[in-house]
Amino acid sequence: MSRRVYLDHNASTPVHPDVVVEMLPFFAERFGNPSSVHAFGREARDSVDQSRERIAGFLGVAPAEIVFTSGGTESDNLAVRGLALAGRRGHLITSRIEHHAVLRTCQALEAEGFALTYLPVDQYGMVDPDDVKRAIRPDTIAISIMHANSEIGTVQPVAAIGAIAREHGIPFHVDAVQTFGKIPMDVADLAIDVMSFSSHKIYGPKGVGGLYIRRGTRMVAIQHGGEHERRRRAGTENVPGIVGFGRAAELRAREMHSEAERVRGLRDRLGLGIQARLDEVRLTGHPVERLPGTANVAFRHVESESIVLGLDLKGVAVSAGSACTSGQVEPSHVLAAVGLDLPWAMGAVRFSLGRSTTAEDVDYVIECVETVVAKLRRLLPTTTT
Amino acid sequence: MRYSATLIDHFLNPRNAGLMREPDAVGQGEYEGCGDLARFFLRVRDGQATEVRFQAYGCGPTIAAASVASELMAGRAVGDLLDVKAHEIEGALDGLPEDRRHAADVVAQALHAAARDWHQREDHRV
Repeated sequence: MSRRVYLDHNASTPVHPDVVVEMLPFFAERFGNPSSVHAFGREARDSVDQSRERIAGFLGVAPAEIVFTSGGTESDNLAVRGLALAGRRGHLITSRIEHHAVLRTCQALEAEGFALTYLPVDQYGMVDPDDVKRAIRPDTIAISIMHANSEIGTVQPVAAIGAIAREHGIPFHVDAVQTFGKIPMDVADLAIDVMSFSSHKIYGPKGVGGLYIRRGTRMVAIQHGGEHERRRRAGTENVPGIVGFGRAAELRAREMHSEAERVRGLRDRLGLGIQARLDEVRLTGHPVERLPGTANVAFRHVESESIVLGLDLKGVAVSAGSACTSGQVEPSHVLAAVGLDLPWAMGAVRFSLGRSTTAEDVDYVIECVETVVAKLRRLLPTTTT
Repeated sequence: MRYSATLIDHFLNPRNAGLMREPDAVGQGEYEGCGDLARFFLRVRDGQATEVRFQAYGCGPTIAAASVASELMAGRAVGDLLDVKAHEIEGALDGLPEDRRHAADVVAQALHAAARDWHQREDHRV
């Protein structure tokens, strides 16, 4: 295998070399517990606070409105459950294409007696803000809609939904794990009250994420055992991770805009290139309102896992849209929600590009996709003689 | 890599893949759970499968299992194909992960169906 191309940036990204350099002293030299009162602890506390300021600065919010967590999943759990428990009982609104960190939390809350509305999406994976408005009840205590979907990349009309939520005085949570550091956002303009984000999607380390909680938002902590993070998230802070996260966010502020334009061009080159070479190929997700680096391509009558395997053997890393586990197909809940027929959904592959992706990489991937898919299609059962 | 080198080799270089013109028997196996499908074609001379070809849809293991089975079954008596077990196919691939065992089941089913088809055609000819 001569060439390796990583097109799975929505799953994770390589840690930026500058981030690694910044993190290294915090493993063995500056290892103190930020809660300790001695010099080692104060040093760690200062570094955590500096990262908090960096991330707050990146978002244009106050440092006290940032809570560090162990990642996007914890942030989503804390946000949705924390808002629900603050309301004690009532009704929550979310969509059918949320990440499982939100969906499973909502289902757990439903089992505990909360009422849930799971909004549908259109063929592009877009939530209709009017549906949100219609779903609001007198006892609605929270709305949680993702900023962009990790599988198909559709960016939701968060500003319109936020305005509706604010008008009704309902706390609005946004899972921004896939957009934070990738596209510009202003939490005030978007009327967001609580927002989840993650480090390893933006060239930071794994195991660290964050939550923006607008000042005055009522939330209940779901993890107990300490006074950390202003009593909003108990547990010793992951200092090296937080330091790396802060540096990663700072770097994104510098690189995000130019990179988004470049990556968008490469993404379109990839999608158009594949469509020019192969028949029965369809791009899913919104044609315009889509993450710059995400192309979800469905290949009719080819099984996505065999495409992923074929590409992997050519050094190309991508993700399958539908998973076959123990012989049971589980078409992605997102592809099902956008109404993609099974023969298409079974062949959906996600290509997610990033800062290191080049035009040469994209051209190589187009060649590989053509070869792999054409070969798999030649194996397909046809009419018998 | 979660798959054996043998499986990868058969996935990358499937043997005996493609349609057979005027086969003496055809059989298909399908796994409803995931839609994986294998179809086998047999050329039979004096009761023996002299040529075995296949077509397949599914994950890499299903394609590889069909490929390895096409080599394994060539030269066998058609009657023996009725008794082919999935674990023999799995063994020829140097193993399958637990969650991909259905690949060998689909292929064994297809071979059984092809053998039954040949017997039915034989009965019809008699």
